[in-house]
Amino acid sequence: MAHPLAPYIFLLRNPARSVPITIVIALAVLLICGIVALVHSIPLSVREIYGYSRNFSAALPRSDPSYLPTLEAQLSESPVPIERVLKIRVAFFNVRSIVGKLPFVLHGLKPEDAAFLRQRMGLSQLTGRLPAVGAPEAVITRPIAVNLGLDIGDELLRPDDPQNYSPQPVRVVGIHESDYWFAYGDYTYVAQNHFPPVDDLVIVAKDQPRFDRWAVERFKGTKARILTHAELLRETDESLAVLLQLLSVVIGMLVVVVTVMIGLFINIYLSQRITEFGLLQAIGFTRGFLARRAGVEASIIVIGAWLLGVLVSVGVLWIVKITLMDPRAYFLDPLDWYGIAYTLPLPLAVLLASFLTIRIRFARFDPVEVIERRIA
Amino acid sequence: MIEARNVSLEYNDHGKIVYACRDVNLRIAKGEFVGVLGPSGSGKSSLLYLLSGLKEPTAGSVLFEGKPYTHLSERERAEIRRKRFGFVFQYPYLVGFLTALENVIAGAEALEPARDRAEALLSEMGLGEKMHRLPSELSGGERQRVCVARALLWDPDVVFADEPTASLDAATGREVVRQLVERRRGALVMVTHDPRILGGADRILRIEGGLVTETSVEVAETADSRVEEG
Repeated sequence: MAHPLAPYIFLLRNPARSVPITIVIALAVLLICGIVALVHSIPLSVREIYGYSRNFSAALPRSDPSYLPTLEAQLSESPVPIERVLKIRVAFFNVRSIVGKLPFVLHGLKPEDAAFLRQRMGLSQLTGRLPAVGAPEAVITRPIAVNLGLDIGDELLRPDDPQNYSPQPVRVVGIHESDYWFAYGDYTYVAQNHFPPVDDLVIVAKDQPRFDRWAVERFKGTKARILTHAELLRETDESLAVLLQLLSVVIGMLVVVVTVMIGLFINIYLSQRITEFGLLQAIGFTRGFLARRAGVEASIIVIGAWLLGVLVSVGVLWIVKITLMDPRAYFLDPLDWYGIAYTLPLPLAVLLASFLTIRIRFARFDPVEVIERRIA
Repeated sequence: MIEARNVSLEYNDHGKIVYACRDVNLRIAKGEFVGVLGPSGSGKSSLLYLLSGLKEPTAGSVLFEGKPYTHLSERERAEIRRKRFGFVFQYPYLVGFLTALENVIAGAEALEPARDRAEALLSEMGLGEKMHRLPSELSGGERQRVCVARALLWDPDVVFADEPTASLDAATGREVVRQLVERRRGALVMVTHDPRILGGADRILRIEGGLVTETSVEVAETADSRVEEG
């Protein structure tokens, strides 16, 4: 048999008091989790869409073709063993993301280089065929096909599309089943039809992160531009820093508003229970016991509501991911730990406000005043 | 068992010092039934709060088993009230979200024996059918009987009853007092303005303007009837 004064007994038997607080906290958690998860889907999109860059880095001679031999010679100084250096040409098209269109590279590869990269990136499963030499053809991976709604035979680049331009329609001839976002066509076609008329170097190293660190330092201040996965992440984080700061301010304001609201709720509820507290103190319960009991009640409700809010958030975000994001190959992490971490100040602040309210209410509590109905 | 030594309780009423109790000296022995009579505002409830440790005197001291309440911590005083005393107040205060049975055992530490005893007690008091009802589903008299059962659960050393019939009709009030007087094992201190409910009292104290004098049931009843006739 549960003790009649067990904290959860009050909560279970007074849903009209416990449910509104639970709903307010859970909704606030849902709101915070949702905002943070959506904002974090931006860097998540960048990481996933350009995730192929983990496999290699690129060195660009900044539109000066004469610099290319020097660049190649300097790369050979690398203390990190290099597996292969590929000369490629690039064309561009747009993919769709949650923040709008993002530029994406159609890599113009020589057949032997394409084979090497396919093996390196695990792109083995192919529906369709490989691009023919000199032909306006492209192979893409499944996420790009989903994202742009393309199938084999569809046009990836078109003469009449300024954002996805090529002098001839470039058709999709093959689709790889892979989680990578990657697109490639034939080197000759891209070299003959796309600007700039300069080869870029793709460097595949044995230890890519180590090579990337070396290359970034080595080519600082030179005519070469080094593109690495780490640099991409750093630039993404830098560009989102202000947005994340604004997000923190908004969440901080939300926490303050909800905390004040819950503090008022708890104060009202304590006032409504003054007779109960006065009676219990008169018949032999200490103020400390009653304050602890009220504190445990507040803790159960706040922690329970927070957990409920997290569960509801994960559920709602999961539904959003499945119904809205996945069909467009957009990214959203329903179990975003940053989002959950952002909600932590809410229960902590509400608990602090609750304990302070309870402490103040019980500090000078006189049961005789209640028994004599001077306060009730 | 309980002793008041030169006890006074004064308060400031808009700059004027008013005595709720003044130089009270009295002893309450084990098993004794002491009635406290007095008109409204005479200080009788204050005396009860002082004797039970719910209020601290502004002068003098109240001792329970030889120890002044002021020498005890809040926790020790609360434990005495919970384990050694029982209380019946003017209004039938119960915890609203607990059933009659749960209200009776709310102060108990060992729940199972308390439950058995409370069920028996409530049945004997005519509440067997209603012990699982909430206070809002009980009449005023029934609620006050639940309060009596709560006060008597563990046969406390002293039961303090503050105007236990004030919020009840005459017949219900008499029934509540009868049950309280008959079922108690320890001392009973009953505060009232109605001498008729103090029939079985061993002693009656009259309090007026905070001053306590001892009287008899007969004198008290006569005085009371004169007041009513006048």
